[in-house]
Amino acid sequence: MLGLLAHRRGAVIFFGVAALVPVVVRDAFFLDSLVLILLWGSLSAAWNVAGGYAGQVSIGHAAFFGIGAYSAALMVTRFGRNPWLGMLLGVALSLLAGLVIGFLSNRLRGPYFALSTIAFSQVLLIAVSRWRGFTAGAEGIPVPFRPGFATLGLGHVAWVYMALGVAVLYYLVAVYLERSRLGLQLAGVREDEDAAEAIGVASRRLKVVAVAASAGLTSVCGSLWAQYVGFVDPAYVFSVDLSVRFALNTIIGGTGTALGPYLGSMLITTVETYLRAQFSGLKTGFTGIYLILYGAVLIIVVRFFPEGLAGVAHRWRATRLSRARAVGAAGSV
Amino acid sequence: MRIRRFAFTALVLLLGLGVLIAGSSAQTLSGEYKIGILEPLTGPLAFEGKRHLEGYEIVRDMINERGGVMGKKLVFAVADATDPTAAASEANRLITREGVKIITGTFSSRLCGAASEAAARHNVIYWESSCVDPRFNKRGLRNAYRTEIDATGFGWYNIEFIAKHLVPRFNMKPNQLKIAFLSEDSSYGQGVTESARLRAKQEFGMQEVALEYYNWTTINDMTPVVLKLKQLQPDIVHHIGFGNDAVLFWRQSREQNFLFKALVHAGATGYGGADFGKALGNDANGVFALLEPGPGFRIEALRPEGQAIEKAFREAVQKKTGGIPLGGHQLAGSGLWILKLVLDKAGSDDPEKFRQAVMSLDLPVGSIMNGWGIKFSDIGQNANDRVQHYMLQWQDGQLVTVWPEEFTTLRAKWIPLPAWDQRK
Amino acid sequence: MSTILLGGIYALVAVGLTLIFGVMRVVNFAHGEYLMLGMYLAYWAFTALALDPNLVLVIALPLFFLIGLLTYVLVMRGVIHASHNVQIFTTFALSILLQNVALVAFSGDFRYVRPWELYVVIRAAGATFNLSQVVAFLIAMVLTVALFAFMKWTHTGRVMRATAQDRDAATLMGIDTDRVYRITFAIGIAAVGAAGVLVAPLYAVYPTAGLQFVLLAYVVVVLGGLGDMVGAMLGSLIVAAVEVAGSYLVGAAWKEIFYFILFILVLVFRPAGLFGQRGAETLGV
Repeated sequence: MLGLLAHRRGAVIFFGVAALVPVVVRDAFFLDSLVLILLWGSLSAAWNVAGGYAGQVSIGHAAFFGIGAYSAALMVTRFGRNPWLGMLLGVALSLLAGLVIGFLSNRLRGPYFALSTIAFSQVLLIAVSRWRGFTAGAEGIPVPFRPGFATLGLGHVAWVYMALGVAVLYYLVAVYLERSRLGLQLAGVREDEDAAEAIGVASRRLKVVAVAASAGLTSVCGSLWAQYVGFVDPAYVFSVDLSVRFALNTIIGGTGTALGPYLGSMLITTVETYLRAQFSGLKTGFTGIYLILYGAVLIIVVRFFPEGLAGVAHRWRATRLSRARAVGAAGSV
Repeated sequence: MRIRRFAFTALVLLLGLGVLIAGSSAQTLSGEYKIGILEPLTGPLAFEGKRHLEGYEIVRDMINERGGVMGKKLVFAVADATDPTAAASEANRLITREGVKIITGTFSSRLCGAASEAAARHNVIYWESSCVDPRFNKRGLRNAYRTEIDATGFGWYNIEFIAKHLVPRFNMKPNQLKIAFLSEDSSYGQGVTESARLRAKQEFGMQEVALEYYNWTTINDMTPVVLKLKQLQPDIVHHIGFGNDAVLFWRQSREQNFLFKALVHAGATGYGGADFGKALGNDANGVFALLEPGPGFRIEALRPEGQAIEKAFREAVQKKTGGIPLGGHQLAGSGLWILKLVLDKAGSDDPEKFRQAVMSLDLPVGSIMNGWGIKFSDIGQNANDRVQHYMLQWQDGQLVTVWPEEFTTLRAKWIPLPAWDQRK
Repeated sequence: MSTILLGGIYALVAVGLTLIFGVMRVVNFAHGEYLMLGMYLAYWAFTALALDPNLVLVIALPLFFLIGLLTYVLVMRGVIHASHNVQIFTTFALSILLQNVALVAFSGDFRYVRPWELYVVIRAAGATFNLSQVVAFLIAMVLTVALFAFMKWTHTGRVMRATAQDRDAATLMGIDTDRVYRITFAIGIAAVGAAGVLVAPLYAVYPTAGLQFVLLAYVVVVLGGLGDMVGAMLGSLIVAAVEVAGSYLVGAAWKEIFYFILFILVLVFRPAGLFGQRGAETLGV
């Protein structure tokens, strides 16, 4: 166990600091940003299961996020039950949807698959927007805030620990994937599907399982988000922008690494929030400059650091290690 | 490696540039009172968010010329609410970092829900000036108020106009009227359309011949809709458009020679926006849109104090934008003015004292700009019958006020609409 | 009939995309933004210089060709050999950047281009259209056919097609793939910029105007088959037909659902597109 902790220094630092923040800081905006970092991070980690570990890059994960958000919201507003029940329902529905997408992943590769996932999320968006009788259509659903754990009506500090709990859980799922046989098989499928098949890996089934699992994990966070922000509307929760966000965080942080999604989320959410805060006060009409900068920053990061922050850190550490060894070797001669 | 180091440097430079351009937010001086302004300044709603911000700024200057609020100069902390998550997050920032006790905004129904939730959790006053979601004040939020009527009010006014003003002039009875409902499918369009449908059917027995929703951002050809409606021969088309869709529908109805007796819309977007007139010029003639008052408005019909404020407001808008007040200006401006009246009365931003002041305000129609009065219900909603709305009509490239007739010198024309090329 | 006109315009948007997608295997998320920029070019030329959009085309084609080259050199070249993720997200970031450049420079207000052709109504075959639509369609057809001819009969075109078929073999044959990509991307952007100029009178011009077209263009491209230009043209017609029929029969509310569902069905049953090479979709890269 200690070995695990030592090996995963970065994660210990990251989650440890996150856990200590609410003790030290009381500033609600800071805490709110932290909740978002952890929540987006968890969503990205969920995406990573399909996109990073199984190599199925989807740009339609908002479909599952939206299913989770709506399930929770509807369970509360329409059926008068608590959101946890809605979360369970959301997971069930997302697993089903994930199976459908997984099926698609067996027929399509690369950009074709990505495009099909976009189409899927947009079909859901339109369907939910039109189903006025049940989902309140495009008007969306305001989610009532009722204090208490059962109703997920939590204060800022409690939300931090809630989001942190989920984040650590998802992180451990990723670690499990990296070290388990299942995970290794998945890695094989990701790197070279035909070769994996050749040595007897049930690649088709694995991919479907990975995508479905990813969908379920995403849905849970969608339900949490609905209770956190308090308003669910289809144009946002099923949007391509959200799908891209989950994937982008992971890519910036390091696809296929366990901590990557959280690092990426931290960087992107912080930069975005910071830039937006700084620029909102500008003369009317110039606010958009922050998004120009944001886009430029993203282009540079994606282009020059494609292996992500985790990859950079890894490389840096490896370089230090090899230099240290070289020095050691030279010294011993 | 060199390229990567270069890239890293470029990154740092870009971010540094960001810091430089933006500067740091100004500290609140002791003679100032700061409130938070939350509007969509980027994204698809930016065009209207910007106008609301302008309206706020104009009235803020008017307020400061008259001594400010609670003896202090009114200043703003502005935040961009580009989507619901950002709205909640920025509301949090305004409250914790900028220390505001009152937040106003946000124009769009999808944003006001999230923003008011965030404000409620900090027990901060949320002062909505424009979003029309009917559920806004039904969530039991004690400190959320809305100065503008909601979508049900819009629908109510539209049907009122149709039933009381248009139908008699068609020599018909309301229950003989065939009405087609067409609308963009955002929360705004749905809200107004559904309430109009309800009143049309329940109170007047009008015959609904069609109900069509569509997505205004992706629609690029309304001919199929036009052809479909043409076959159903409605007397009135109740169309809530948002942007280009209004232009498309009107133009393509003309192309297909689709004739109906009148088209009625509600709100400052679509048919009610300046773009519609710019796009079509005189071809826009005849369309009705429920709005704040425009040219022809009889300021004399207002009470004396209302006249003074309306005049000052129009002058200020003219000075800043070079034109007449647009819907966005009017909603934001009046919202801010009412806030000033409340703060003057309460003398404090303590939520309970504030609430008392809000509830105690009772001004008749014609008291402030736009000819509005003020009377809040206990769920924090300004009453339908105090928030006087007006029907405007496109005449010769301008939206002019035509109803209620006691408030305007101008009259509605082309009732019913003649052939397309005869609307001069 | 309006289907055909609509389809023709979609074709010009899609043809550039299918070229880029086909030859370079790059998913260009920012394609719609170049359309938007083309629309703004038409707007400013019309408002400031009173130039008819169809004339502006003469400037637009070389201008957007240059813009395409610039984008390639600054952004695309670095990611052409990277994974799909990187390509998708780089172009997505580019689209955010371009949208907001337009927002800051031109504001979010809706603009309109109203040349005289917009008001000339033509009635034919029981339907009505305006001259702008017809001219846009005709010019789009001319450009598409010209592009097709270029691809089929010029040396460069053949080189491009060779690279599309097999990147590695092309390199082995001594083809300078970088030059091929450069030209392909530039032509693709020139095509979509031109499409923007042509459609400006038909829609409102605003910073996020490209969004509504980009997904549609991808549906067309996939339908027609990756890299197949004739397929793109036919695909455009089919998508336009589905849209129009759907709106008429079931309601405008559902029209996007129809072509998305069509899209998914095609992907499930005939992923190489109705006219593309079978098995292309499993190659992916």
